[in-house]
Amino acid sequence: MDRLKIERVGGFAGFGGPHLKSRGEVALSDLSPADQKTVEQLFADPKKVAPAHPGQADAFSYRITRGAQTIEVPEHAVPSTIRNSVKDVLE
Amino acid sequence: MPCSCCIIPNDVLTKLSQDKKLSAVLRKQLVDTVQVSHELRELRTQTAKLTNVVAARAAGLVTLAAAPSVTVYDCKHTQTLPGTPVPKPKTSSDGSVKRTFNQTTKVAKFYQQVFNRNSIDDHGMTMMSSVHFGAKYNNAMWNGSQMIYGDGDGSIFVDFTRGNDVIGHELTHGVTQHSLQLAYSGDAGGLNESISDCFGAMFRQWEAKQDVKKADWLIGRDIMGPGAKKRGFTCLRDMADPAAKHCLAPQPTKYSQVTPGMDPHYASGPPNLAFYTACATLGGYSWAKIGQVWYHSLTGFGPMPNMTMKTFAARTRQGAHTLYPGDAAVFAAVDTGWKKVGL
Ligand SMILES: [Zn+2]
Repeated sequence: MDRLKIERVGGFAGFGGPHLKSRGEVALSDLSPADQKTVEQLFADPKKVAPAHPGQADAFSYRITRGAQTIEVPEHAVPSTIRNSVKDVLE
Repeated sequence: MPCSCCIIPNDVLTKLSQDKKLSAVLRKQLVDTVQVSHELRELRTQTAKLTNVVAARAAGLVTLAAAPSVTVYDCKHTQTLPGTPVPKPKTSSDGSVKRTFNQTTKVAKFYQQVFNRNSIDDHGMTMMSSVHFGAKYNNAMWNGSQMIYGDGDGSIFVDFTRGNDVIGHELTHGVTQHSLQLAYSGDAGGLNESISDCFGAMFRQWEAKQDVKKADWLIGRDIMGPGAKKRGFTCLRDMADPAAKHCLAPQPTKYSQVTPGMDPHYASGPPNLAFYTACATLGGYSWAKIGQVWYHSLTGFGPMPNMTMKTFAARTRQGAHTLYPGDAAVFAAVDTGWKKVGL
Protein backbone atom coordinates (compact mmCIF):
# COMPACT_ATOMS: atom_id res chain seq x y z
CA MET A 1 0.00 0.00 0.00
CA ASP A 2 3.05 2.27 0.15
CA ARG A 3 3.49 2.52 -3.65
CA LEU A 4 1.47 4.99 -5.64
CA LYS A 5 1.21 4.31 -9.36
CA ILE A 6 0.69 7.46 -11.36
CA GLU A 7 -0.60 7.98 -14.89
CA ARG A 8 -0.95 11.44 -16.39
CA VAL A 9 -3.71 11.71 -19.02
CA GLY A 10 -5.29 14.32 -21.26
CA GLY A 11 -3.72 17.62 -22.27
CA PHE A 12 -3.72 19.13 -25.77
CA ALA A 13 -1.99 15.98 -27.06
CA GLY A 14 -4.41 13.53 -25.41
CA PHE A 15 -1.99 11.56 -23.24
CA GLY A 16 -3.30 8.11 -22.35
CA GLY A 17 -4.10 7.15 -25.94
CA PRO A 18 -2.53 4.23 -27.83
CA HIS A 19 0.91 5.77 -28.41
CA LEU A 20 1.34 8.52 -25.88
CA LYS A 21 1.80 7.61 -22.23
CA SER A 22 2.96 9.40 -19.12
CA ARG A 23 3.63 7.22 -16.09
CA GLY A 24 5.42 7.32 -12.76
CA GLU A 25 5.59 5.84 -9.31
CA VAL A 26 6.22 7.23 -5.84
CA ALA A 27 6.46 5.74 -2.39
CA LEU A 28 3.91 7.30 -0.07
CA SER A 29 6.51 7.26 2.71
CA ASP A 30 8.83 9.43 0.57
CA LEU A 31 6.26 12.23 0.46
CA SER A 32 6.26 15.09 2.96
CA PRO A 33 3.66 14.83 5.76
CA ALA A 34 1.65 17.59 4.06
CA ASP A 35 1.65 15.75 0.71
CA GLN A 36 0.77 12.46 2.43
CA LYS A 37 -2.22 14.21 3.99
CA THR A 38 -3.26 15.59 0.59
CA VAL A 39 -3.11 12.08 -0.88
CA GLU A 40 -5.21 10.70 2.00
CA GLN A 41 -7.82 13.39 1.39
CA LEU A 42 -7.86 12.74 -2.37
CA PHE A 43 -8.49 9.02 -1.83
CA ALA A 44 -11.08 9.68 0.87
CA ASP A 45 -13.16 11.80 -1.51
CA PRO A 46 -11.68 12.36 -4.99
CA LYS A 47 -14.73 14.42 -6.00
CA LYS A 48 -14.10 16.92 -3.21
CA VAL A 49 -11.22 18.72 -5.00
CA ALA A 50 -11.63 22.39 -5.79
CA PRO A 51 -13.34 22.74 -9.18
CA ALA A 52 -11.31 23.95 -12.14
CA HIS A 53 -11.93 27.44 -13.46
CA PRO A 54 -15.02 27.29 -15.70
CA GLY A 55 -14.08 26.97 -19.34
CA GLN A 56 -10.70 25.41 -18.62
CA ALA A 57 -9.49 23.06 -21.36
CA ASP A 58 -6.52 20.86 -22.24
CA ALA A 59 -5.32 20.52 -18.63
CA PHE A 60 -3.83 17.21 -17.46
CA SER A 61 -5.52 14.80 -15.07
CA TYR A 62 -3.75 12.22 -12.91
CA ARG A 63 -4.86 8.64 -12.33
CA ILE A 64 -3.40 7.60 -9.02
CA THR A 65 -3.55 3.95 -7.97
CA ARG A 66 -3.06 2.82 -4.38
CA GLY A 67 -3.59 -0.88 -3.86
CA ALA A 68 -6.85 -1.77 -5.60
CA GLN A 69 -8.21 1.80 -5.68
CA THR A 70 -7.67 4.20 -8.59
CA ILE A 71 -8.77 7.82 -8.52
CA GLU A 72 -8.61 10.45 -11.28
CA VAL A 73 -8.01 14.05 -10.18
CA PRO A 74 -7.22 17.32 -11.98
CA GLU A 75 -3.61 18.52 -12.07
CA HIS A 76 -4.24 21.53 -9.82
CA ALA A 77 -5.18 19.17 -6.96
CA VAL A 78 -2.04 17.02 -7.24
CA PRO A 79 1.10 17.68 -5.13
CA SER A 80 4.13 18.65 -7.21
CA THR A 81 6.14 15.58 -6.08
CA ILE A 82 3.52 13.38 -7.71
CA ARG A 83 3.26 15.62 -10.80
CA ASN A 84 7.02 15.48 -11.26
CA SER A 85 7.19 11.69 -10.90
CA VAL A 86 5.85 10.97 -14.38
CA LYS A 87 7.86 10.42 -17.55
CA ASP A 88 6.37 10.91 -21.00
CA VAL A 89 6.98 8.04 -23.43
CA LEU A 90 5.99 6.83 -26.90
CA GLU A 91 4.56 3.34 -27.26
CA MET B 1 -21.45 91.76 -32.21
CA PRO B 2 -23.23 90.97 -35.48
CA CYS B 3 -26.68 89.52 -35.37
CA SER B 4 -26.44 85.85 -36.34
CA CYS B 5 -30.12 85.12 -36.24
CA CYS B 6 -31.08 82.95 -39.16
CA ILE B 7 -34.83 83.41 -39.06
CA ILE B 8 -34.67 86.43 -41.38
CA PRO B 9 -34.10 85.21 -44.95
CA ASN B 10 -30.79 86.11 -46.51
CA ASP B 11 -32.23 88.21 -49.33
CA VAL B 12 -34.04 90.41 -46.78
CA LEU B 13 -30.82 90.77 -44.77
CA THR B 14 -28.92 91.68 -47.94
CA LYS B 15 -31.54 94.30 -48.90
CA LEU B 16 -31.43 95.81 -45.40
CA SER B 17 -27.61 95.93 -45.48
CA GLN B 18 -27.91 98.16 -48.54
CA ASP B 19 -30.50 100.51 -46.95
CA LYS B 20 -28.78 103.91 -46.59
CA LYS B 21 -31.34 104.92 -43.94
CA LEU B 22 -29.64 102.48 -41.54
CA SER B 23 -26.37 103.29 -39.79
CA ALA B 24 -23.08 102.13 -41.36
CA VAL B 25 -22.35 99.96 -38.28
CA LEU B 26 -25.67 98.17 -38.48
CA ARG B 27 -25.28 97.65 -42.26
CA LYS B 28 -21.87 96.06 -41.69
CA GLN B 29 -23.39 93.75 -39.04
CA LEU B 30 -26.09 92.68 -41.48
CA VAL B 31 -23.45 91.78 -44.11
CA ASP B 32 -21.60 89.68 -41.49
CA THR B 33 -24.85 87.94 -40.57
CA VAL B 34 -25.44 86.93 -44.18
CA GLN B 35 -21.91 85.50 -44.31
CA VAL B 36 -22.28 83.56 -41.02
CA SER B 37 -25.68 82.29 -42.07
CA HIS B 38 -24.16 80.98 -45.32
CA GLU B 39 -21.33 79.17 -43.47
CA LEU B 40 -23.79 77.60 -41.03
CA ARG B 41 -25.90 76.31 -43.89
CA GLU B 42 -22.78 74.77 -45.48
CA LEU B 43 -21.85 73.15 -42.18
CA ARG B 44 -25.33 71.66 -41.83
CA THR B 45 -25.09 70.23 -45.35
CA GLN B 46 -21.73 68.64 -44.56
CA THR B 47 -23.03 67.22 -41.26
CA ALA B 48 -25.99 65.69 -43.06
CA LYS B 49 -23.63 64.06 -45.57
CA LEU B 50 -21.47 62.67 -42.75
CA THR B 51 -24.53 61.30 -40.96
CA ASN B 52 -25.62 59.54 -44.15
CA VAL B 53 -22.19 57.98 -44.62
CA VAL B 54 -22.10 56.80 -40.98
CA ALA B 55 -25.60 55.32 -41.26
CA ALA B 56 -24.71 53.49 -44.45
CA ARG B 57 -21.51 52.05 -42.99
CA ALA B 58 -22.62 51.49 -39.37
CA ALA B 59 -22.72 47.69 -39.65
CA GLY B 60 -19.05 47.62 -40.57
CA LEU B 61 -17.91 50.10 -37.95
CA VAL B 62 -17.11 47.44 -35.36
CA THR B 63 -14.12 46.39 -37.47
CA LEU B 64 -12.64 49.79 -36.64
CA ALA B 65 -12.74 48.96 -32.91
CA ALA B 66 -9.36 48.97 -31.24
CA ALA B 67 -7.56 45.64 -31.36
CA PRO B 68 -7.41 43.81 -28.01
CA SER B 69 -4.26 44.08 -25.92
CA VAL B 70 -1.93 41.09 -26.17
CA THR B 71 0.28 40.37 -23.16
CA VAL B 72 2.96 37.72 -22.60
CA TYR B 73 4.38 36.48 -19.29
CA ASP B 74 7.43 34.31 -18.65
CA CYS B 75 7.04 31.46 -16.12
CA LYS B 76 10.78 30.79 -16.31
CA HIS B 77 10.21 27.01 -16.14
CA THR B 78 8.13 27.17 -12.96
CA GLN B 79 4.43 26.33 -12.65
CA THR B 80 3.62 29.64 -10.98
CA LEU B 81 1.13 31.75 -12.92
CA PRO B 82 1.14 34.15 -14.60
CA GLY B 83 4.93 34.59 -14.22
CA THR B 84 6.93 37.74 -14.98
CA PRO B 85 5.41 40.21 -17.46
CA VAL B 86 7.52 40.73 -20.58
CA PRO B 87 7.61 44.48 -21.26
CA LYS B 88 8.14 44.43 -25.06
CA PRO B 89 7.12 40.96 -26.29
CA LYS B 90 6.95 42.07 -29.94
CA THR B 91 10.69 42.65 -30.09
CA SER B 92 11.77 40.08 -27.50
CA SER B 93 14.92 38.07 -28.21
CA ASP B 94 13.12 35.06 -26.69
CA GLY B 95 11.58 33.15 -29.61
CA SER B 96 8.72 31.70 -27.53
CA VAL B 97 7.72 35.15 -26.28
CA LYS B 98 7.94 36.78 -29.72
CA ARG B 99 6.05 33.96 -31.48
CA THR B 100 3.33 33.93 -28.87
CA PHE B 101 2.86 37.69 -29.14
CA ASN B 102 2.84 37.74 -32.94
CA GLN B 103 0.63 34.71 -33.46
CA THR B 104 -1.83 35.75 -30.73
CA THR B 105 -2.07 39.17 -32.38
CA LYS B 106 -2.81 37.43 -35.68
CA VAL B 107 -5.50 35.23 -34.10
CA ALA B 108 -7.14 38.46 -32.86
CA LYS B 109 -6.98 39.80 -36.43
CA PHE B 110 -8.36 36.51 -37.81
CA TYR B 111 -11.39 36.62 -35.51
CA GLN B 112 -11.90 40.33 -36.22
CA GLN B 113 -11.57 40.25 -39.99
CA VAL B 114 -13.16 36.87 -40.74
CA PHE B 115 -15.85 36.64 -38.04
CA ASN B 116 -16.21 40.27 -36.96
CA ARG B 117 -15.40 39.24 -33.37
CA ASN B 118 -13.58 41.56 -30.99
CA SER B 119 -11.27 39.21 -29.05
CA ILE B 120 -12.09 36.11 -27.00
CA ASP B 121 -15.23 37.55 -25.37
CA ASP B 122 -16.25 39.81 -28.30
CA HIS B 123 -15.73 42.76 -25.93
CA GLY B 124 -12.02 43.37 -26.45
CA MET B 125 -10.77 41.16 -23.61
CA THR B 126 -6.97 41.20 -23.18
CA MET B 127 -5.34 38.11 -24.67
CA MET B 128 -2.94 36.93 -22.00
CA SER B 129 -0.36 34.14 -22.38
CA SER B 130 2.32 32.58 -20.19
CA VAL B 131 5.24 30.81 -21.86
CA HIS B 132 8.03 28.53 -20.53
CA PHE B 133 5.49 26.96 -18.14
CA GLY B 134 7.01 24.13 -16.12
CA ALA B 135 10.08 22.07 -16.96
CA LYS B 136 10.00 20.30 -20.36
CA TYR B 137 6.23 20.52 -20.07
CA ASN B 138 4.47 18.64 -22.90
CA ASN B 139 1.31 20.71 -23.00
CA ALA B 140 -0.52 23.88 -23.94
CA MET B 141 -3.80 24.85 -22.30
CA TRP B 142 -6.47 27.44 -21.65
CA ASN B 143 -7.06 27.85 -17.91
CA GLY B 144 -10.31 29.79 -18.14
CA SER B 145 -8.67 33.20 -18.37
CA GLN B 146 -5.34 32.83 -20.18
CA MET B 147 -3.21 30.65 -22.46
CA ILE B 148 -0.36 28.56 -21.04
CA TYR B 149 2.48 27.05 -23.12
CA GLY B 150 5.12 24.51 -22.18
CA ASP B 151 8.51 24.14 -23.88
CA GLY B 152 8.02 20.45 -24.71
CA ASP B 153 10.59 17.81 -23.75
CA GLY B 154 12.53 18.27 -27.00
CA SER B 155 11.97 14.62 -27.95
CA ILE B 156 8.27 13.85 -28.34
CA PHE B 157 7.35 17.53 -28.64
CA VAL B 158 9.16 20.80 -29.21
CA ASP B 159 8.00 24.19 -27.89
CA PHE B 160 4.19 24.30 -28.11
CA THR B 161 4.30 27.96 -29.24
CA ARG B 162 5.76 26.72 -32.55
CA GLY B 163 2.30 25.61 -33.67
CA ASN B 164 0.11 28.46 -34.89
CA ASP B 165 -2.75 25.93 -34.94
CA VAL B 166 -1.98 25.25 -31.25
CA ILE B 167 -2.28 28.97 -30.46
CA GLY B 168 -5.51 29.23 -32.49
CA HIS B 169 -6.82 26.10 -30.73
CA GLU B 170 -6.18 27.43 -27.21
CA LEU B 171 -7.66 30.87 -27.90
CA THR B 172 -10.74 29.24 -29.38
CA HIS B 173 -11.35 27.45 -26.06
CA GLY B 174 -11.77 30.98 -24.71
CA VAL B 175 -14.23 31.83 -27.48
CA THR B 176 -16.24 28.67 -26.68
CA GLN B 177 -16.20 29.60 -22.99
CA HIS B 178 -17.73 32.96 -23.91
CA SER B 179 -20.38 31.54 -26.28
CA LEU B 180 -21.69 27.94 -26.19
CA GLN B 181 -19.95 27.28 -22.84
CA LEU B 182 -19.55 23.61 -23.71
CA ALA B 183 -18.76 21.15 -20.93
CA TYR B 184 -15.57 19.09 -21.10
CA SER B 185 -16.92 15.55 -21.18
CA GLY B 186 -19.25 13.45 -23.29
CA ASP B 187 -20.54 14.80 -26.60
CA ALA B 188 -20.09 18.41 -25.45
CA GLY B 189 -16.45 17.74 -24.56
CA GLY B 190 -15.77 16.24 -27.99
CA LEU B 191 -17.48 19.22 -29.64
CA ASN B 192 -15.48 21.61 -27.45
CA GLU B 193 -12.21 20.03 -28.61
CA SER B 194 -13.34 19.79 -32.22
CA ILE B 195 -14.32 23.47 -32.38
CA SER B 196 -10.82 24.38 -31.17
CA ASP B 197 -9.24 22.12 -33.81
CA CYS B 198 -11.53 23.51 -36.55
CA PHE B 199 -10.74 27.17 -35.78
CA GLY B 200 -7.06 26.38 -35.11
CA ALA B 201 -6.84 24.72 -38.54
CA MET B 202 -8.78 27.55 -40.20
CA PHE B 203 -6.45 30.11 -38.63
CA ARG B 204 -3.42 28.20 -39.92
CA GLN B 205 -4.92 28.04 -43.42
CA TRP B 206 -5.93 31.73 -43.32
CA GLU B 207 -2.40 32.77 -42.38
CA ALA B 208 -0.98 30.72 -45.25
CA LYS B 209 -3.84 31.77 -47.61
CA GLN B 210 -4.44 28.08 -48.37
CA ASP B 211 -7.62 26.72 -49.88
CA VAL B 212 -9.09 23.42 -48.62
CA LYS B 213 -7.18 21.39 -51.22
CA LYS B 214 -3.79 22.90 -50.46
CA ALA B 215 -4.18 22.65 -46.68
CA ASP B 216 -2.74 19.59 -44.90
CA TRP B 217 -5.48 19.48 -42.21
CA LEU B 218 -2.95 18.26 -39.64
CA ILE B 219 -3.10 19.37 -36.01
CA GLY B 220 0.20 19.74 -34.16
CA ARG B 221 2.47 19.18 -37.16
CA ASP B 222 4.85 21.95 -36.11
CA ILE B 223 5.27 20.76 -32.51
CA MET B 224 6.29 17.18 -33.27
CA GLY B 225 9.70 16.42 -31.80
CA PRO B 226 12.50 14.35 -33.37
CA GLY B 227 11.60 11.24 -31.34
CA ALA B 228 8.01 11.26 -32.57
CA LYS B 229 8.98 11.97 -36.17
CA LYS B 230 11.48 9.11 -36.10
CA ARG B 231 8.60 6.79 -35.24
CA GLY B 232 6.65 8.03 -38.27
CA PHE B 233 4.25 10.34 -36.42
CA THR B 234 3.81 13.51 -38.47
CA CYS B 235 1.07 15.10 -36.37
CA LEU B 236 -1.14 14.69 -33.34
CA ARG B 237 -4.41 14.58 -35.25
CA ASP B 238 -5.42 14.55 -38.92
CA MET B 239 -8.81 16.15 -39.49
CA ALA B 240 -9.03 14.60 -42.97
CA ASP B 241 -8.12 11.11 -41.76
CA PRO B 242 -8.53 10.96 -37.96
CA ALA B 243 -7.61 7.26 -37.59
CA ALA B 244 -4.46 7.44 -39.76
CA LYS B 245 -1.24 5.68 -38.78
CA HIS B 246 0.77 8.92 -38.89
CA CYS B 247 -1.33 10.36 -36.03
CA LEU B 248 0.24 10.27 -32.58
CA ALA B 249 -3.29 10.49 -31.17
CA PRO B 250 -5.50 8.62 -33.67
CA GLN B 251 -9.24 9.23 -33.30
CA PRO B 252 -12.52 7.50 -34.08
CA THR B 253 -14.14 8.42 -37.39
CA LYS B 254 -17.77 7.50 -36.62
CA TYR B 255 -20.07 8.98 -34.03
CA SER B 256 -21.06 5.43 -33.00
CA GLN B 257 -17.46 4.88 -31.82
CA VAL B 258 -17.63 7.73 -29.30
CA THR B 259 -18.03 6.37 -25.76
CA PRO B 260 -19.27 8.31 -22.69
CA GLY B 261 -15.99 8.47 -20.72
CA MET B 262 -13.78 9.13 -23.76
CA ASP B 263 -11.11 11.86 -23.56
CA PRO B 264 -12.50 14.83 -25.54
CA HIS B 265 -9.29 14.84 -27.65
CA TYR B 266 -10.45 11.49 -29.07
CA ALA B 267 -14.21 12.15 -29.12
CA SER B 268 -13.47 15.14 -31.37
CA GLY B 269 -12.58 12.82 -34.27
CA PRO B 270 -16.06 12.54 -35.87
CA PRO B 271 -16.94 16.28 -35.74
CA ASN B 272 -13.41 17.08 -37.03
CA LEU B 273 -13.96 14.75 -39.98
CA ALA B 274 -17.43 16.22 -40.58
CA PHE B 275 -15.97 19.73 -40.75
CA TYR B 276 -13.14 18.65 -43.07
CA THR B 277 -15.55 16.75 -45.33
CA ALA B 278 -17.91 19.74 -45.56
CA CYS B 279 -14.99 22.03 -46.45
CA ALA B 280 -13.53 19.59 -48.99
CA THR B 281 -16.96 19.05 -50.59
CA LEU B 282 -17.61 22.77 -51.04
CA GLY B 283 -14.03 23.76 -51.95
CA GLY B 284 -12.46 27.23 -51.73
CA TYR B 285 -11.36 28.69 -48.41
CA SER B 286 -12.50 26.86 -45.27
CA TRP B 287 -13.28 30.10 -43.44
CA ALA B 288 -15.33 31.62 -46.28
CA LYS B 289 -18.59 29.68 -45.87
CA ILE B 290 -18.32 26.43 -43.87
CA GLY B 291 -16.29 28.30 -41.24
CA GLN B 292 -19.02 30.96 -41.10
CA VAL B 293 -21.67 28.26 -40.57
CA TRP B 294 -19.63 26.74 -37.71
CA TYR B 295 -19.01 30.18 -36.16
CA HIS B 296 -22.74 31.02 -36.40
CA SER B 297 -23.58 27.70 -34.68
CA LEU B 298 -21.00 28.41 -31.95
CA THR B 299 -21.84 32.02 -31.18
CA GLY B 300 -25.33 32.74 -32.46
CA PHE B 301 -27.59 31.15 -29.83
CA GLY B 302 -26.26 31.59 -26.28
CA PRO B 303 -24.89 28.89 -23.95
CA MET B 304 -25.74 25.19 -24.24
CA PRO B 305 -23.19 23.38 -22.00
CA ASN B 306 -24.47 19.85 -22.60
CA MET B 307 -25.05 20.13 -26.33
CA THR B 308 -24.96 16.81 -28.18
CA MET B 309 -23.15 16.32 -31.47
CA LYS B 310 -26.52 15.58 -33.07
CA THR B 311 -27.87 18.98 -31.97
CA PHE B 312 -24.75 20.75 -33.20
CA ALA B 313 -25.02 18.95 -36.55
CA ALA B 314 -28.67 20.01 -36.87
CA ARG B 315 -27.73 23.60 -36.04
CA THR B 316 -25.06 23.73 -38.74
CA ARG B 317 -27.48 22.27 -41.29
CA GLN B 318 -30.00 24.96 -40.35
CA GLY B 319 -27.22 27.58 -40.32
CA ALA B 320 -26.22 26.70 -43.88
CA HIS B 321 -29.80 27.51 -44.97
CA THR B 322 -30.00 30.69 -42.87
CA LEU B 323 -26.64 32.15 -43.92
CA TYR B 324 -26.67 31.01 -47.55
CA PRO B 325 -30.34 30.70 -48.60
CA GLY B 326 -29.48 30.99 -52.27
CA ASP B 327 -26.51 28.62 -52.18
CA ALA B 328 -27.73 25.03 -51.87
CA ALA B 329 -24.16 23.74 -52.25
CA VAL B 330 -23.33 24.95 -48.71
CA PHE B 331 -26.14 22.93 -47.14
CA ALA B 332 -25.27 19.92 -49.29
CA ALA B 333 -21.61 20.10 -48.18
CA VAL B 334 -22.53 20.37 -44.48
CA ASP B 335 -24.99 17.50 -44.86
CA THR B 336 -22.36 15.35 -46.60
CA GLY B 337 -19.92 16.07 -43.76
CA TRP B 338 -22.22 14.91 -40.98
CA LYS B 339 -23.51 11.90 -42.93
CA LYS B 340 -19.92 10.74 -43.37
CA VAL B 341 -19.58 10.32 -39.59
CA GLY B 342 -23.08 8.91 -39.06
CA LEU B 343 -24.88 12.04 -37.92
ZN1 LIG C 1 -8.19 21.73 -26.54
